[in-house]
Amino acid sequence: MASIVVRELTKRYGKLTAVNQISLEVEDGEIFGMLGPNGAGKTTTVEVLVGLRDADAGEVRVLGFDPTTESVQLKRSIGVQLQMPTLFPRLTVEESLRLNANFFPDPFPAEQVLEWVGLKEQRKVYTYKLSGGQLQRLVVGMAIISNGRILFLDEPTTGLDPQARRNLWDVFHMLQKMGKTIFLTTHYMEEAQYLCDRVAIIDHGSIIALGTPNQLICDHFEEKAVELSAMDGCDEAILEKLPGVTKVQAAHNQITLYSTNVEATIRELMQLEAENRLAVNDLAIRKASLEDVFLKLTGRSIRQ
Amino acid sequence: MKIFLNLVVATLKDMVRDKMTIFWFILFPVLFMFLFGMIFSGGSGNVNFDLGVVVEQPDFFSQAFLANLGQVEMLTVHHGTLEGELEALGQQKRNAVLVLPQVQFGSDEEIAVPVYYDASNQANKVLIFMLSEIFNHVERGMQNRARIFTVDAKPVQAESLRDVDYLLPGILSMALMQLGLFGSVRLVYLRQKRILKSLGATPLPRTHIVFSEIVIRLLMAAVQTTLIILIGHFVFDVKIVGSWWQVLGAVFFGAAVFVSIGYMLVTFAKTEESGHGIIQVVQFPMMFLSGIFFPLEFLPAFLKPVVRAIPLTYLGDILRSVLIGTPYAFGLTTDLLILGGWLTVSLILAIRFWRWE
Repeated sequence: MASIVVRELTKRYGKLTAVNQISLEVEDGEIFGMLGPNGAGKTTTVEVLVGLRDADAGEVRVLGFDPTTESVQLKRSIGVQLQMPTLFPRLTVEESLRLNANFFPDPFPAEQVLEWVGLKEQRKVYTYKLSGGQLQRLVVGMAIISNGRILFLDEPTTGLDPQARRNLWDVFHMLQKMGKTIFLTTHYMEEAQYLCDRVAIIDHGSIIALGTPNQLICDHFEEKAVELSAMDGCDEAILEKLPGVTKVQAAHNQITLYSTNVEATIRELMQLEAENRLAVNDLAIRKASLEDVFLKLTGRSIRQ
Repeated sequence: MKIFLNLVVATLKDMVRDKMTIFWFILFPVLFMFLFGMIFSGGSGNVNFDLGVVVEQPDFFSQAFLANLGQVEMLTVHHGTLEGELEALGQQKRNAVLVLPQVQFGSDEEIAVPVYYDASNQANKVLIFMLSEIFNHVERGMQNRARIFTVDAKPVQAESLRDVDYLLPGILSMALMQLGLFGSVRLVYLRQKRILKSLGATPLPRTHIVFSEIVIRLLMAAVQTTLIILIGHFVFDVKIVGSWWQVLGAVFFGAAVFVSIGYMLVTFAKTEESGHGIIQVVQFPMMFLSGIFFPLEFLPAFLKPVVRAIPLTYLGDILRSVLIGTPYAFGLTTDLLILGGWLTVSLILAIRFWRWE
C-alpha cells in the first residue's frame, strides 16, 4: 500500500515555480530519498506533504489524508524534521524532547530516543549551547519521538561528522524494521545510495529520474568508472580513443573514464604510461554511482 | 489541556531562564519603585517644619516655651487661632499645630498638650519627638519635678496624597504596559527564529502558542503587582484601599489591553529588532503623556487630546482609584469603555494582520 501519493504537484512562489508537476508514490515501510542540489524543490515538497504549505495544483495524499484540509489528523501520525533547526533556546535537550513527545498520542520514551541519537550525555544542556551537529541530532530525535507512521526528514544528516551520520543511518534502518516509512531529502549521494530503497532525483523543481539506486545506475551506465589523476595533464582526445571508453570527464588533473570494457581500457592505459605519454597516479576502478548519474543527467556536479 | 499546560511550563522555563526577562519585567519595576520611592517619600518639608502654635492664655510659661522654640533652627513658628491653624494644616501649609494650654501651677496633674499633625508625612513623626524633647527641656529648667506635660499627638490625614502614593499606581501602570507591549515582541522572535514553524509541523494548534504566551504574561503581571504593592506598602507605607480582587481584576484587565495592543503593533514588524523599535516609539511618549507619574494639570493644553486618547491614561486612572483611593478623573465606566475599545480594536487588527510566516 502507498503511504504517500503525489500526482502532478506544483508549487509556485510568485513567478518562481519551485516544484513543477512532480508525481511519486512511497510504499509503506520504504525509505524514500529525494536527491537534488540546494534550491531544487526538495524542502518545498516536504513542506507541502506535511501540511505546512498548500499546493497550487496537483493532488497529495499522505496516509490517506489531504494535507491541506486534514492537517491536524495528519500531523498526529507523522514525525517531521525541518531544515535549519530552531528550538526554545533555554530548554534542555531532554525537556525539548519531552515537550515534543507530549504533542503525540503514542510517543517513544525520551530515554530511548536520547540513546538513539547519541545525546544521553547532553540531556541537561540548554539547546542554545549545543554544537551544530548535536542540535541536528536533537531535531531528528524530536521527529523520531513522535513514533509517527511516517518520518519526514529534511536533510537529516547535514552538518554531521561521518561517524554520527553512520549512526543515524543505523537508527533509520532500525526504524524501518519497526515498520516506519521514511521520506527524506539529501544532497549526499552516498547517503541516498546507502540508505534509500528508492530515490527520486530532482532538479529545478522536476523529477528527472526515479528508481532504486542500482536501477538508476544501470539505466544510465553499462560502464564502470576508471578514475585516475594525470600528473602532467593529458590530451583528452587520446583518452577518448581508448578501447571501451564511452565518455571522459576531466576536471583539472582528475579524470574519470566511463568504460564498457575496463580490462581493455586499463591495458591500453598502462601501455601509454610505458611509452611515457602519460603519467598515471591513483588509478581506481569503481562502479558508476548516483553522483555519475546526476552528472550525466544535469551536466553538473550536485555540489556546484 | 494537558498539552497546553505542558507548553506553558516549557515556555515559562525558556523565558525565566533568560536573565534579561527577569531584569526587565520583574527587577526593573522593583528598582524603579525603590529609587523613585526614596526620592519622593522624603517630602518637601523635612528640612524645615512649619509649626502652628495656638496659645490659649499667654503667661510666663508660654513665653518660656516660645523662647525655646525660637532656638530651633528647623522650625518656622506661625501664631494663630485654632481654626485658622487647623485649616492651614489641612492645606499642608503646616506640618503640625500645637495648642499650648493654660498652666495651673501647683497642681500635680499632668497637662496634655494637643499636637495635630499631618500623618501622611512620615517626617512629621520626627517633629512630634522634637516637640516632646523641648517640653522636657522646659520642665527641667523650671523645677525638679518629673513630668508636667505630655504631648498628645493627634494625627490628621491631610486630603492630598504624598508623591510616593501617587507613584505606586504609576509604576504599576508602567510595568503592565511594558509587560504587554514588549512581551509581544517574543512572538515575532519565535517567528523569526522559525520556532513557530517547527511547532507548526507538530499536531500542536498554533493558537495554543499565543494563548500560552498570554497566560504567562498574566502570571507575570500578578507577580509584578504583588512585588510592587508589597514594597510600596511595607517600605514606603502606602496604604492600599482596594481589595485584592479589585486590584487583580484591574491588573489583569490592564495587562490584557496592553498585550492586545502589543500584538497589534508587532504585526507591522518583520524582525525582533524592528518590533522593539516600534514598541519603544509608542511606549515612551505614552509613559509621559498619560499622567501616571505626575498630575495631568501639568501638561500643556494642546496635548490634552493626546492624553485623552491613549489607553495608559485610563489604566492609570483605574489603578490610582483602586489602589490609593483617589477619585476617578474620568469615571470608572468611561475608563472601562475606552480600555475595552482599545482591547477589541487592537485584537481584531492583530488577528487580521498577523502573519505566521
